[in-house]
Amino acid sequence: MRFALFIFTQTLRNIRHSWGVQLMTLLTVILSVLIFSFFYLIYSNMLQAGEKFGEELRLTVYLQASLSPAQQQEFTEKVAAFGKVDRISFITPEQAFQRLARQLGNDSDVLADLNPAFLPFSAEIYPHKDIRNLTRIKEFAEYLKNLPGAQKVQYGQAWVERFGHFVKLLRFIVIISGTLLILTTMFMVSNTLRLTLFARQDELKVLRYLGATNSYIKGPVLIEGFALGLFGAGLGLAALFFLFQWIRNHFSSAGFLQLFELRFLPMTNSAIILLGSIMLCTLGSLLSIRRLLKK
Amino acid sequence: MLETLNQPPAAASPALVEVVKVTKIYPPDVVALKNVSLSAAKGELVFLTGPSGAGKTTLLKLLCRQEIPTKGLIEIDGNDLNNLSDNDIQKLRQRIGVAYQDFKLLPRLSVFQNIAMPMEVQFKSPGEIRSRVTELLEKLGIREKQHKPAGKLSRGEQQRVAIARAAASSPLLLLADEPTGNLDAATTGLVMALFQELNDNGSTIIIATHDESIYQGSNHRKFELKQGELF
Repeated sequence: MRFALFIFTQTLRNIRHSWGVQLMTLLTVILSVLIFSFFYLIYSNMLQAGEKFGEELRLTVYLQASLSPAQQQEFTEKVAAFGKVDRISFITPEQAFQRLARQLGNDSDVLADLNPAFLPFSAEIYPHKDIRNLTRIKEFAEYLKNLPGAQKVQYGQAWVERFGHFVKLLRFIVIISGTLLILTTMFMVSNTLRLTLFARQDELKVLRYLGATNSYIKGPVLIEGFALGLFGAGLGLAALFFLFQWIRNHFSSAGFLQLFELRFLPMTNSAIILLGSIMLCTLGSLLSIRRLLKK
Repeated sequence: MLETLNQPPAAASPALVEVVKVTKIYPPDVVALKNVSLSAAKGELVFLTGPSGAGKTTLLKLLCRQEIPTKGLIEIDGNDLNNLSDNDIQKLRQRIGVAYQDFKLLPRLSVFQNIAMPMEVQFKSPGEIRSRVTELLEKLGIREKQHKPAGKLSRGEQQRVAIARAAASSPLLLLADEPTGNLDAATTGLVMALFQELNDNGSTIIIATHDESIYQGSNHRKFELKQGELF
């Protein structure tokens, strides 16, 4: 208890004597956490949107001729041979014609003199989530195209591919920015604390002459690192939350943002970012004090 | 004859400080101490005298393990200083109070905080620290300066703070390097009274000085160093 009290008092004394540098380090940590979690927030929302679109993803196979119920059963079995599917619906030309008319709405009179038979018989396949990634979908489409009787397969390739590439790019940005920011934070924290310790070298020397143990000297520095990580990440996440609220209030009804529901980082992810930041900053401070005590 | 003079009185307590044939050479070849042997008993007060540059400060630095000898053996309370682990050195230093010639105070900390430091590193209770520091401030006549940063004091006042810090944890061994160098006669009296009190309470005290006035006529043993050798 007394040990904790002394270490805490010593920490406050250290912070008071070097508050300018400490404040700059805190701002660096806040900014690093804010940048990283901002990209991560976009990435997680995109993933969520991808999942939502995936649920609505269907592959339409246009067939050369209508299939009898027995043929439909056979077709279903062949499709299932590739992988699990959630549902297969067979659409007759008449059904397709009605759907088209509904989609045209007030303009449906353009179909007035047309025979529904001009539309092909088709099968709509809703793949299971196991095969919803871009590569598997492409393979699945290729497989369907080669089934006997299949004429053409459509699944909005261009859009799905673009979306897949965008998510890949985001993942890349998150990984790169995460790595760079982790290194920057550790470097900054370690060096700032080393600078403050360097300025206190005489004090540390006197403390050693007076018999201060390593834990007496290390303790406050580690607590400083811990506090920097805690407050840096806490304030960074709080800033992100306010930024998120602002974006949601001002832009959620605009353009493509309407397509999906914006969500803040889940509690688990926020906690991981907080703990990660605390760990990095404490590690940074440990590195700086170890280097100094070795001298 | 020298050997006899340098041993503690036969009836005294066992030796707390043992220095056996210690030589200290600073690179490239500056001999600061040459074959020095002496011992001090538990609860003894001894003077280390000699002109400037005689090796007094070097000997004190060796005794608190601030430096290590080139040759020879030093034991404090049975511990061979050459064979102590880092942690053991720190533990031993907690039992040694040193009043440095250059004070080694922390200028931005207050007088009170400076004096409290040795007790803080030993995790003494805040109440105990407060009462001991206040007592020392009173005894050395610097109570009204307790909140001032140590760096703003005169040299004489700084010297008293350094002495108070050395005495704060009532150490087993107190080493004082020219403790009265910046003090007037009256303040010297206060400092010597404090040393005497610590000594009466069982501390072993080694005072390095060239100020004859503080050791002349005293009954305590004196070791005289000249050009790194003991006479």
